[in-house]
Amino acid sequence: MEKQLVKRKKNKKEKLINLVATFIVAILSAFVLLPIWWIFRSSLMSTGALNEYPPSFIPHEWLWSNYSKALETFKYWTYFKNTFSIIIPAVLFGTITAIFCGYAFARLRFRGKKLFFNLCIGTILLPGMVTLIPLYVMWTRGLGLGDTYWPLILPYFTGGGFFNIFLIRQFLLTIPTELDEAAAIDGASRMRILWTILVPSIKPAIVVVGMMLFIQIWNDLLQQIIYINSMDKFTFAIALTNFTGSFGTNWPIALAATFMTILPGIGIYILGQKSFVEGIVLTGMKN
Amino acid sequence: MTKKVKESTISRAGKKEERTAYLCLIPAFFGVTLISYVPTLAVFVLSFFDWNGLTTPKFIGLGNFERIFTKDIYFLDSIQSTIYYAFLAVVGAVLYSLIIALFLNMEIKGRTLFRSIFFIPYLLPAIGVFKGWEWLYEGNFGLFNFMLRMMGLSPQRFLDSPEQVIPSLVMIAIWTSGNLIVIFLAGLQNVPRVYQEAARIDGANAWQRFVNVTVPSISPIIFYNVLTALITHLQVINPALALTNGGPGKKSTFMSYVIYLYGFRKNKMGYAAAYAVIFFLMVGVFTIILFSTQKSQLFGAEE
Repeated sequence: MEKQLVKRKKNKKEKLINLVATFIVAILSAFVLLPIWWIFRSSLMSTGALNEYPPSFIPHEWLWSNYSKALETFKYWTYFKNTFSIIIPAVLFGTITAIFCGYAFARLRFRGKKLFFNLCIGTILLPGMVTLIPLYVMWTRGLGLGDTYWPLILPYFTGGGFFNIFLIRQFLLTIPTELDEAAAIDGASRMRILWTILVPSIKPAIVVVGMMLFIQIWNDLLQQIIYINSMDKFTFAIALTNFTGSFGTNWPIALAATFMTILPGIGIYILGQKSFVEGIVLTGMKN
Repeated sequence: MTKKVKESTISRAGKKEERTAYLCLIPAFFGVTLISYVPTLAVFVLSFFDWNGLTTPKFIGLGNFERIFTKDIYFLDSIQSTIYYAFLAVVGAVLYSLIIALFLNMEIKGRTLFRSIFFIPYLLPAIGVFKGWEWLYEGNFGLFNFMLRMMGLSPQRFLDSPEQVIPSLVMIAIWTSGNLIVIFLAGLQNVPRVYQEAARIDGANAWQRFVNVTVPSISPIIFYNVLTALITHLQVINPALALTNGGPGKKSTFMSYVIYLYGFRKNKMGYAAAYAVIFFLMVGVFTIILFSTQKSQLFGAEE
């Protein structure tokens, strides 16, 4: 009887704690969303309205014309096309090569495996800034690929960085080998097993790899700046960096351009969010 | 006889397996050699040369290093701002994401929704984020100054202030650290509930349970997050490229940014390579320090 009472009391206490926690988390998440809303809200106002005090949380009139004004100089679809002509091949082949390499490390026996694996791990700790100048010399002077997208795409054809290979490997290790063996007895080749049995069962990891590559390329302003010179080849990152500078203090227009470049990120998240979070959650555990 | 046959078929199968493995690893091989280790060696070699990127490189021994250590106008500022930024960003991002993850690990309503909300900033393109925050930090009508004014405080200059520029940039880094939250959450969900219950029965309060049960169980995850955050933030360059151009003064001339300035604005490739070597060694020292603390921590957890 007494025990039950204690338990009930505890439950009540726990419920209260959870309620308070929910409240705190709700407030914190409002703070996290506020910058995004503020950028959006400001992109729809006139310069005059932006300078009012106290500020209005919601625009009095929604000036969608800011967006068409921004589009007059901010060649959104050109940048969109340019950005994605780097992202699509890099993400696609980065993911495919990561699958091959991760598979070899997870499933195949070969001489020099441990050594090569450790060499690969070493590359994770190697800052990209260190290799920047020699790579630049190689791509531009050596191979004559300056002002093209190749120096931005080709490095991803190497498994997209060892972290991604590692991720695929960790995931494959969790798939029981009985699955492969059964298929092998049925006469399926290794590649067939990989692509028809293993790949579908590690889908969350593949989505994670794809999205990480996506974010990495999207955010890589430095390499885009050093390799691309012609304006008609500008990506979102370069164009936005130059755009707001040239627009001076016309904040609504600059923010309209900014918000438009943020949008694809949100879109991608909505598309892949379930697998993405699931994938990271699963990989985090399998160390 | 039969044994011999069997052995040879095994080794034939093994050979085939090996060949498949090597074929699969061709991309990684190129990655390790051409994209990683060869350029790393090359940067060391290049650091001994005076080279503008066009004419024949001239060997000058340690001349570049000597110049950096004695005459360079950025050197001290760049080391200071890089370490200051990385330190604040790592501590801030790890603490923030751990706290949020602890909350999200509780049985609160709408967990999935909240998780998404905290994660979204990580997925936004960095340059868009910087441009947006530039407006939030704006001196007269930015969001933060509105908030300060509403609380009766005087407006701040944030990105235009030598003292506030680094903390202001760190705020952006913390805001976008949603990936750490997800990794912490994964770790927390792996902490066996039994341990928590056992500690509770022994009369441990929430803080004691956190310090004695939760932290030791997720210490590898904490280490992983600190390590990746450290390597990421020591390489900071985007805020300088997209927002501050290294200013005000030289307060945000991060080492990566200086490498970029010398290599690509001033065409001093050899000199920039020497900077890159110093940067490499600095990151290496920090990584080694971090790894050595991890060992003692792990043993601590085992005892």
